[in-house]
Amino acid sequence: MTIDKAYTVPPGLRVLSLLLIVTGIATFTAGILIDPQRTWANYLIDSYFFISLAIGAMFFLAIQYITQSGWSSMFNRVPEAMGSYLPYAGVLMLIFIIFGSHSIYHWTHHSAVESDVLLQHKSPYLNLPFFIIRFVVIFGAWISLMVLLRRLSLKQDIAGGLTNFHKSEYYSKVFIFVLALTFSLGTFDWIMSIDAHWFSTLFAIKNFISAFLHGSAVVALIVILLYQQGYFPKLNKAHLHDFSKYMFIIGIIWAYMWFTQYLLIWYANMPEETVYYQTRISSEWRVLFYGNVVLNWLFPFLFLMLNKIADNKYALLFTAAVLMVGMWVDLYVQIMPGSTMSDTSPMGLNSIGLVEIGTFLGFLGVFTFAVSRSLSKANLIPVKHPYLEESLMHELH
Amino acid sequence: MVGTIKNNNIFGVFDDEDVFLSAMRSMEETGIRIKNVFTPYPIPEVFRIMGLKTRMPYAAFIYATIGVILTYAFLYWTSVIDYPVIIGGKPTNTLSFVIILFVMTINIGIVMSLVTFFIIQKLGPGKSARIVHKGITDDKYVIVIEKTKEMSKEDSQRINYTLFEYGAIEVGEKEHVENI
Repeated sequence: MTIDKAYTVPPGLRVLSLLLIVTGIATFTAGILIDPQRTWANYLIDSYFFISLAIGAMFFLAIQYITQSGWSSMFNRVPEAMGSYLPYAGVLMLIFIIFGSHSIYHWTHHSAVESDVLLQHKSPYLNLPFFIIRFVVIFGAWISLMVLLRRLSLKQDIAGGLTNFHKSEYYSKVFIFVLALTFSLGTFDWIMSIDAHWFSTLFAIKNFISAFLHGSAVVALIVILLYQQGYFPKLNKAHLHDFSKYMFIIGIIWAYMWFTQYLLIWYANMPEETVYYQTRISSEWRVLFYGNVVLNWLFPFLFLMLNKIADNKYALLFTAAVLMVGMWVDLYVQIMPGSTMSDTSPMGLNSIGLVEIGTFLGFLGVFTFAVSRSLSKANLIPVKHPYLEESLMHELH
Repeated sequence: MVGTIKNNNIFGVFDDEDVFLSAMRSMEETGIRIKNVFTPYPIPEVFRIMGLKTRMPYAAFIYATIGVILTYAFLYWTSVIDYPVIIGGKPTNTLSFVIILFVMTINIGIVMSLVTFFIIQKLGPGKSARIVHKGITDDKYVIVIEKTKEMSKEDSQRINYTLFEYGAIEVGEKEHVENI
């Protein structure tokens, strides 16, 4: 079998992704009619979930370019394809911001702002027109840089040489600096502003590390799934071990960030900050709150520690799946309590039901559709990448 | 002393990692036993070619576990049992321990691993350096083959030729090179 076998979307996968989208639309419509607040909150969770995966994968790609990594060059098309979900994410997020933000964000209500000094103080920044401008700028920057990196990579396939590679490296550097700012602002806007009175400066970096962790995990997941279908014949234990190192190490950084934010707020013990954790620890949210740490850090940390497990593809698939659940729980705990808080349920709604599952499946469908479509549009392996040889022979190094 | 072979090792110097590794592979295949190799930086492939095993990671894990337990015991004894001071209204058995535990786990794990490594390799202050070739801390890769007593002159000649054949830039003899 040749290594540059082109990827074609299996008809089954296409049908499946469309089915998932239909399921998603159906549950979403039903949910909107029954409980709009809960449904929009779920929409935001899943929207942010897949944006994080796309951004994490793009960051993974940028890091590979900047460090001129050899081992991963064979898989570059996978993070590129995950990045190509961003335009879809932009449209989906725009729908949320136009129709759903009023259900979720307390600060969009004029009546609430009038009687609230803190919100008035924040209103020059936290108002709907500026919110939408920021959204457009953030997604504009992401999509244009994503398209640029993708084009350079495709050009390289035809032209070869080092010109396009050096350009990719340069724009990757631009990308990570842009990302540092835009992802932070985006996270502050879309998630932290749900609890508009609460703030944490570590919030954005924590979610960014989460995006990097789960983005890398999904890159590994897609690579292994493609390998199972007969693509990437040169994939070997050394690649798998490197993927598991990504999950292992970024998992530690994730826990570090999670704990740092918690510890600072715990130590300072200021009521306006501790209220966030108070809601989540001393209620039925407790299980998910601590479960989050187990799923995202403790399990991968202990499981991937042994080398024999770390380079086993089934173990990696399993870890990536656990991390996906972990990420969803992480976002659920971040978003749900603040956005579904009401007089009848002061701690927010904590019940995982059909709406949660259906909306997630819908977004999964869009993501699968976008990624598989993008993968089938170009060579699955960047045939003229300067480090391709090193990647193919990775077991020797 | 009469009768002993003084120069009891043959070494070949390589200046390219790939040439060095393929030489190692070919020598293992042809049955020439490699005694030791010296490289400027760690190459995992060397481990695989020579079939080496290490228990260092397990040792490091055990040290780190001991480190975390000892540090916690110490912290608990000092700030809960022996001299409890309430600072900022926090409990004496406090979450702030985690930072110290985190750092001390790494510290004890690393220091104890280093000590173990020194003991295994019989390294220590005052030990004279036995350097096979000056290039090994710079950019050269060295393969060492033991010249046993049973080896005839032709045999060692053959090893010399083989080393050159596989791309060595320099071949020489050196006594007292330790086993890997």
